[in-house]
Amino acid sequence: MENSRRHFLKSTCALVAGVSVYPFSGNHANAEMEPAINNIKYALLNDETKCIGCNACVEACREVNHVPEGVTRLSIERTGPFGEYPNQFYHFSRHSCEHCENAPCVSVCPTGAAFINKETGIVAVNADKCVGCQYCIAACPYEVRFINPVTKAADKCDFCRETNLKQGKQPACVEICPTKALVFGNLKDPESELVALLKANPTERFKQDLGTRPKIFRIKAKQGEIIL
Amino acid sequence: MSAFHFDTLVWHWPIAVYLFLAGASAGAMFFAVLLKHFCLKEKAYQSGFIIAACIIAAISVLAGLGVLVLDLTKPWDFWKILVFYNPTSVMSMGVIILMLYQVFMYAWIAVTFRQPIDKFCEKHLPIACTLTRLLARYEAGITGLLVIFSVSLGAYTGFLLSAQPHFPMWNTGVLPLLFLASGLSSGAAASLLGGVLLKGNPNGAEVRFIHKIEIPLILGEILLMFTFFLGLVFSGGQSKVAAFNAIGVGFWGFVFWFGIMGLGLSAPLAMNLFMTATSKRKFSYVAGTACLSLLGVILLRNFILYTGQMVVS
Repeated sequence: MENSRRHFLKSTCALVAGVSVYPFSGNHANAEMEPAINNIKYALLNDETKCIGCNACVEACREVNHVPEGVTRLSIERTGPFGEYPNQFYHFSRHSCEHCENAPCVSVCPTGAAFINKETGIVAVNADKCVGCQYCIAACPYEVRFINPVTKAADKCDFCRETNLKQGKQPACVEICPTKALVFGNLKDPESELVALLKANPTERFKQDLGTRPKIFRIKAKQGEIIL
Repeated sequence: MSAFHFDTLVWHWPIAVYLFLAGASAGAMFFAVLLKHFCLKEKAYQSGFIIAACIIAAISVLAGLGVLVLDLTKPWDFWKILVFYNPTSVMSMGVIILMLYQVFMYAWIAVTFRQPIDKFCEKHLPIACTLTRLLARYEAGITGLLVIFSVSLGAYTGFLLSAQPHFPMWNTGVLPLLFLASGLSSGAAASLLGGVLLKGNPNGAEVRFIHKIEIPLILGEILLMFTFFLGLVFSGGQSKVAAFNAIGVGFWGFVFWFGIMGLGLSAPLAMNLFMTATSKRKFSYVAGTACLSLLGVILLRNFILYTGQMVVS
């Protein structure tokens, strides 16, 4: 009796430990070798040297995607001014979903409402499945998710997957940008403007050390100030 | 930056309440099993401490889930969490653990209180006796699984936080162990408090038994706390910033040193040691120690929840 109970406990422990670790290992392997079904993997290049902080992209996004007042899928962060008058300048940086290859929001979502679209690599939200636990909002290292006050579901930039992209157009922010600071395209297409620019310019991605592999690339503007 | 409102804050105090209730439930059940098997055996159902532990475990897990559901932005859609699962989500795993834990909790309570249940059911509901007989036959299995699930539940609340890569204070492997240890001690304290309130003997075998386990548990908690913060400091970068931000000067630093280390851990440890040294335990002494332990755990959950979200990497 004593022996069989001990045996039972041991094997159950081993089983529980195995089952709880298995999905993580499997997911990691998948993320590394995930085949792109349509050979499309969308990414965005933000040339911060060209951005003038006009906020046209923010307004276009709001209109096209029907984003309610009080929340936004996209914002432009302004830092500065740097330098001495009259040579003063600001820095503008896009703040929106980074469409991570290894997205923390997707792996923590309990219902699978947050997902990566296999055909395009776009990180999106299924508002019907979302229960609003806000785990994804807490887990996102880029702090770009929010609760949509109308649908009560988690919301964020989806490269206009449901709107412009469906109609064969570029995302609203890219279309409207007056200085062409945004370039949207397919990373898997070597002929695309995006890939050409990525090859020709030194670019940066945010918080790469977290292993999220974000797909927003940035051409940095000149140094504002030096802080140690 | 204020202590309760800052830009990077996503999860507010209801989550801390849930973390506390889930941990206390898991701990109470864990100690109920220990008490029954190593101390009381067949007479377990007569003990006020077992009764208290079972009531606390059952109510606090339900209350915790209630808080969690009300905290959703779409509370009426909570059933979707039960229908859709994501194998990579710690929360999904937690939902499964919580459900199975409750099944085995009720089964174990039914087996433990079989005698009074059978006595009642013989007259009113004879079919229930068949059920208790069936459950009693699998008592060993139910008990083993309950222990596994209660430990899993205690650790899960820590894993829930540690799955978030950009909060350096949460994203560590020590956190689940720390939460497990503090959850177990809160369950023990809640059972002791409930037991003496239900007219359990404050100088009984149950209290002595739990106190004997509580002393190494508190020492272990202090060790885990030390490992936790030293680990953050040695990791450097934002982890180090987060550690010093949490336990340095300011509101949360005061909560940590005075509330958690002082009132929540050192005081109960000293009182437990004193009670072991003196032979007689009094109601006020047992209840006071338990209250301090519970206060310490509530503070710890809030402290980790808030300070963990203050520094991002």
